[in-house]
Amino acid sequence: MVVVGGGTSGWMAATALAKLLPSRCTVELVESEAIGIIGVGEATLPHIRAFNERLGIVEAEFMAATRATFKLGIEFRDWGRIGDSYIHPFGTFGRGSGEVQFHHYYTRLLRDGVPLPPIESYSMACSLARANRFGQPARDPQQIASTFGYAYQFDAVAFAPYLRRIAEGLGARRTEGRIVAAERDSRSGDVTALVLEDGRRVQGDLFVDCSGFVALLIGKELAEPFEDWSRWLPADRAVAIPCRTATAVTPYTSAIAMPSGWRWRIPLQHRTGNGYVFASDFLSESAATDALLGAVEGTPLADPRILRFKAGRRARSWVNNVVAVGLASGFLEPLESTSLYLVQQAITALIELFPEKRIAPVDRDEFNRLINMEYDRVRDFLILHYHATERDDSPFWTYVRTMPIPDSLAEKMALFKRRGRVVKYREGAFLDASWVSVYLGQRVVPTGADPRAAAPSTDSLVAGLDRMRGEIAAAVGAMPAHAAFLAGYCPMRAAT
Amino acid sequence: MTSIDAPIARIAVIGGGIVGWSAAVALRRRVPGVAVTIVATPPPPDALADRIAQTLPSTIGFHDDLGLGEDDAVLRAGGVWRLGTEFEDWAPGRPPYVHAYGSCGQPFGTASFHHHWLRAARDGTAAPFEAHAPAAMLARAGRMPIPPTGIVAEAQAAVMLDVPRYRAMLEAFARHLGVEVRDGDVATVRLRGEDGFVDAVLLADGSAVTADVFVDAAGPGAVVRGAIDDAWEDWQRWLRCDRLVTAEGAAERSTGLDRVQAMPAGWRWRTPTPDRTSHGCCYASAFMSDADAQQVLAAAGATAMTPAVAFRQGTRPEPWARNCVAIGDAATVIEPLEFTNLHLAHSAIDRIVAMLPGRACHPLEIADYNRQAQAEVVRVRDFVLCHYATAQRAEPFWRDLPALPDSLARTLAAFRERGRLPFFEEETFSRDDWLTVLIGQGAMPRRIDPLIETTDVADSERAMAAYRAAIGQAVSRCPDLDAYLHSQRKRLGR
Repeated sequence: MVVVGGGTSGWMAATALAKLLPSRCTVELVESEAIGIIGVGEATLPHIRAFNERLGIVEAEFMAATRATFKLGIEFRDWGRIGDSYIHPFGTFGRGSGEVQFHHYYTRLLRDGVPLPPIESYSMACSLARANRFGQPARDPQQIASTFGYAYQFDAVAFAPYLRRIAEGLGARRTEGRIVAAERDSRSGDVTALVLEDGRRVQGDLFVDCSGFVALLIGKELAEPFEDWSRWLPADRAVAIPCRTATAVTPYTSAIAMPSGWRWRIPLQHRTGNGYVFASDFLSESAATDALLGAVEGTPLADPRILRFKAGRRARSWVNNVVAVGLASGFLEPLESTSLYLVQQAITALIELFPEKRIAPVDRDEFNRLINMEYDRVRDFLILHYHATERDDSPFWTYVRTMPIPDSLAEKMALFKRRGRVVKYREGAFLDASWVSVYLGQRVVPTGADPRAAAPSTDSLVAGLDRMRGEIAAAVGAMPAHAAFLAGYCPMRAAT
Repeated sequence: MTSIDAPIARIAVIGGGIVGWSAAVALRRRVPGVAVTIVATPPPPDALADRIAQTLPSTIGFHDDLGLGEDDAVLRAGGVWRLGTEFEDWAPGRPPYVHAYGSCGQPFGTASFHHHWLRAARDGTAAPFEAHAPAAMLARAGRMPIPPTGIVAEAQAAVMLDVPRYRAMLEAFARHLGVEVRDGDVATVRLRGEDGFVDAVLLADGSAVTADVFVDAAGPGAVVRGAIDDAWEDWQRWLRCDRLVTAEGAAERSTGLDRVQAMPAGWRWRTPTPDRTSHGCCYASAFMSDADAQQVLAAAGATAMTPAVAFRQGTRPEPWARNCVAIGDAATVIEPLEFTNLHLAHSAIDRIVAMLPGRACHPLEIADYNRQAQAEVVRVRDFVLCHYATAQRAEPFWRDLPALPDSLARTLAAFRERGRLPFFEEETFSRDDWLTVLIGQGAMPRRIDPLIETTDVADSERAMAAYRAAIGQAVSRCPDLDAYLHSQRKRLGR
């Protein structure tokens, strides 16, 4: 079992395999120190917690080592219109229980002409985030403080070495060297060995391609086709700059729309990650760099770095005996912090479907079906952010506002616009509340009512909503400031 | 901003069996401000969802959503609790197995419970799979999952209806809620010229029933929905049973466990209750005569035999078309194995309530409904078919099934390879339900999941034994089902 590449995805794969399948495979990871890793400060989804827990990672220790902060959601600024701001929370609106979802009542009152604050006022996660506070969610489902989850914002450059220590402790072997060629079995086409620059050969039965954009095995060697989604997601460049943190460390990531894309702001304990994701058809690299430098708060800590990419995924991520994980399998911009989520889903699926020496097609097909479904659903969710806009202030926004979108997304949007229905599925990264937050946050409002929300009187609904805000305010007030919580829970170690 | 169609003001339900009355009550009760009319034509004998008395635990959830408690919906309506089914002779040479409703085993270590069990089974050291299912052990012991705390909360009870009394209860409730009741048979269905929507249903006496949406609960004839189109997905090549005979026998102690026994050309059930014993025989007419089926039930002690009912299994790929939605046998005809008939009807009613469109029945909203409905029905079919696909009997009826539907083939292939079950949206039966049947019928994976290897065999064995012991203790504290039923009936003065 050979892992190709030692970035975040490579070490996540190596650690998980060494931990969970110790008797089934020996893990060897090949990486070259000469090749840098793309680590720009990583924002994650709550799913990462289950992954870490499975690996036996202690949260406070991991957070200290990666100078991590808590993340309650993502703030979107200037997306629907310039001046708009909403938070996509890790949690529900309202209590999230009951047969009729909260947003049906909320939008009914809006249509009735009742003046209401934004829907995020009824979300524990959003309210905590806006107040810059944090505390662990309550376990008792009766409490309003149980209605949110959280993820992390951490230094990806520190995460890989952190995992490496764990993986090596579990017996994973690291081989230093630059891969120059792959040997294949002439009959099956399977990869049999990697050839390193100094002539050494690394043999294996199964190869996990974590080589990043280079896609050494899945792309260069096996030439698996890449499905190009750039007609819907035209951003193909990012420029990144870390800055000294100038303001309070927020428990959320920000995604701020820019004239030809958007920029991220990811607060870590010791610095803030910044980057401008843009479409090179609409903006040059140097102009983007200037725009980013003009927008960031705090002192830059390094020179700007340019990343180049293309949105899309491989037709199949598992071909022959090569399983692509992370950027080698596909790329979706980090607008909704899905990069590590997709890595995690691929590793989890690989472990669940881990083959014998002879790979069963049923396992491989199932893996590809699962991974493709994940990518496709995230894709639609990302496109929604661009398409649901009223912005016409730049050629970029005019393009995304008017571009044809996939049928699957067009149907989802039409159903929401009619009666607030969110297309239902139980699997996938983003469920009801996520879609609702982006729709309403970007001014996609249902024209009709869900008939079930018609029963309560306006007065009783308004009173119920007021009570809920009071409950949320009390629960938020009882939690400490985010910075104070971090200082007590997981203060960062001195930089190494 | 586009204007949206007006809300639905009136819904007409066609069909006066328990499916139709359930729909009338739920729509009236759960959709604010909607007027409901029911055309209460008695259901035809081949409307299985209106006839089969055994239901799944989802019936109790359906009652909860209506605000109906157990006293009214179960006890006063003549119902008794049922806990599960014992399957016998489906895989000759293997012991009978119980499928009850709830979880099996407790996860520990890094792998799901069933991987621990499968490893022990490979090594020949496993206790029966069902011994780790609280629901199955309660069903075997004939004890009620009461109080629902701790391990006992892992088990759910279902209901065995007294169909005529249950229908009467629903009717009384519907009238109380203000449902308009019309009697008589449907004579014709009038479609609107411009868009083909159902305009009115004309009754035999010449009167018209008008509504914004029509719910066809009239049985397999689908008198209203069938006026729009007759597209049908036929399942008979896989599900060969096409006849049903039912009968009654003497009252017995209620155990909550019904017995479903495979026969050379079908299967039969036997469910004892303190009021009567329910018998049924479901078979394929190509391999068994009606007289032989009746003979089988008579030999089992049944009297009060009904004439054989013919049916043909399959489903409408689009239960909802224009302003008409089919439910019950008008939407799906499926044999009563695993007793999914009323469950599917109730689930369709829940879906109508949750997804009710406007008066225009916009194609997107209808397509979303049909997508979910179809996903659910196909997996229920797969679960029923799984019993046949994994049965190991030699008679011609049981042999030479054609290639299975893709979805079931995928489930079976994944399980047989390594004990994994792929996820499907809208699945009715849980992973543990599937495992119970697959393992009960002897379909074993080719290999053991490697994830299990991080847990020592001895640790697995200890954990499984401890869980079995805990189940045994919990079950012994639960009340006897028959005694509990009698005490509850006494409390209500019945």
